[in-house]
Amino acid sequence: MEYVYSVLVMIGIYTIMASSFNLIIGFGGLISIAHPIFFALSAYASALVNLHWGVPIPLAILLGTLFAAAMSVMLSLPSLRISGDYLLIASMGFQLGFVEVIKNVDFAGGAGGLTGIASIYSGPSRSPAFVVTTLTIAATVVSVVHWLTHGEYGRAIRAMRDDEECFASLGRNPMAIKITIFAVGSALAGLAGALYAHYFQFLSPEQFGITQSALILTMVVVGGMGSTWGPVVGALLLTALPQAITFLNLPPSVMAPLQGMLYTGLVLLFLFVRPAGLVAKRLGQ
Amino acid sequence: MNAPRAAIRVTDVSKRFGGIVVAENVNLELRSGEILGLIGPNGAGKTTLFNLICGIHTPDSGEIWLRDQPLSRVPVYRRARLGIARTWQNIRLFPTLSVIDNLLMGPRRYPGEALLAGIFGARTRRADAQAARERAEEILARMGLSDARDKTPAELPFGQQKLAGMARTLMNDGEVLLLDEPMAGVEGQVYETIRQVVRDEASAGRAVCIVEHNVSFIRDLCTRAVFMFNGCIEQSGTMEELLASDKLAELYFGGRS
Ligand SMILES: Nc1ncnc2c1ncn2[C@@H]1O[C@H](COP(=O)(O)OP(=O)(O)O)[C@@H](O)[C@H]1O
Ligand SMILES: [Mg+2]
Repeated sequence: MEYVYSVLVMIGIYTIMASSFNLIIGFGGLISIAHPIFFALSAYASALVNLHWGVPIPLAILLGTLFAAAMSVMLSLPSLRISGDYLLIASMGFQLGFVEVIKNVDFAGGAGGLTGIASIYSGPSRSPAFVVTTLTIAATVVSVVHWLTHGEYGRAIRAMRDDEECFASLGRNPMAIKITIFAVGSALAGLAGALYAHYFQFLSPEQFGITQSALILTMVVVGGMGSTWGPVVGALLLTALPQAITFLNLPPSVMAPLQGMLYTGLVLLFLFVRPAGLVAKRLGQ
Repeated sequence: MNAPRAAIRVTDVSKRFGGIVVAENVNLELRSGEILGLIGPNGAGKTTLFNLICGIHTPDSGEIWLRDQPLSRVPVYRRARLGIARTWQNIRLFPTLSVIDNLLMGPRRYPGEALLAGIFGARTRRADAQAARERAEEILARMGLSDARDKTPAELPFGQQKLAGMARTLMNDGEVLLLDEPMAGVEGQVYETIRQVVRDEASAGRAVCIVEHNVSFIRDLCTRAVFMFNGCIEQSGTMEELLASDKLAELYFGGRS
């Protein structure tokens, strides 16, 4: 049963990750691969302020989330001033660099990882409570992303993507929109990270590498970029599928490459067969 | 007080792209309530001049003023918010938005653009949104586009696309209106509508500058006209004066077969 709970929590967490990444890449058109690093920065920040300074967990989660947003502005503000391509390059530096930083900072546990992180809930109903919390937050995040990308703000986002120069000539500030989208998306990744930290109570720098970026991108591509439900479907599918093949009882030497091939294969398959993803964007939206 | 300043003043503006001179020592005044014709052959630098005024290009030297405010450090979107509105020669409607949504992108203050202000100032935002919607419906009716409000730009005939592009620009409701070949390729009812709108906007006190190849249109509407060639303003005056000039005949009409 504990296993099922943890899979459900992971589905919730990946739903938050995929939805928020979709906000950035699918709606905002901002190409970055640093999404897992904002997850990690907030996870570590939340765990550490609780561990070392005794900040209550809900407040620690909030601080971690805000920290991720602040760090995202440090990345997006200087790079977007130069160009959209520069954001991609800078995000690679951010992603690779911070993993190394975390590995080498002793108070964050170093390469061995950070243990002894406090849990929000305790007692026998800890896991079900966590499942409910995570899935509720995931549903809220999906709604927030939907609300942001539809209505007045969403109209502005689409206009900006259609024609940025014309958009600016009408009095709209494309930089402000891009930095806001990136900050909100990164904050949501941070929220997922902090939840993760206080559920699994262990963080290791290895978890936040470039493979994690690829996995989240796969979820968004397979589900459908720029649609509200796409990333939810993608997160569900790509969290459940690798769990399902573990039941095949294959030896680890076969298992690891098989999972890797699964992601690569799915991305290629979808790019060719169904570029709009499983949940195709409604036309004219 | 000296005489009222022009709405827009271009003073000694030069601009080159690589080796090509697109503006050389351009001086221009655009006054409130007037319709200034900007004529010249293709490649003369008319569109570039609009791009300089609205901030898409920055001059290599010289300055552009809105009343007494120098604009060189003001980004494109702020110039629009100060009331400089322009259309595009190739229309540039947002293809994924309906006609009404295209118009709703146009007000100087866009409700909900600043996310936090939108969340905490929900009431003002709703009032702004309501006002914008009413203005958009009004403009669409004026343009005869009410039936097209929910269509996407691709679903409209060319003439209506031109009207929609102009309608979106009118949403700005500012002091300055720069129209880049609004009549090119249109005729009949659409032509008449645009002519009427240009007149009305100037009567309402806006400073209107219009790029146009149709001489009779310029003569009919414009108080003044300037003739551009190779990035220079070669001549300015009334249309009659310009037409009487040998230079213009040679450079403009002589150049067109
Ligand atoms: N962004 C640009 N980069 C390089 N050259 C440009 C650019 N925009 C315009 N030009 C050049 O400037 C000259 C003037 O163009 P333009 O202002 O569009 O003329 P017009 O509107 O009078 O037909 C042309 O030679 C054109 O090729
Ligand atoms: Mg032109």
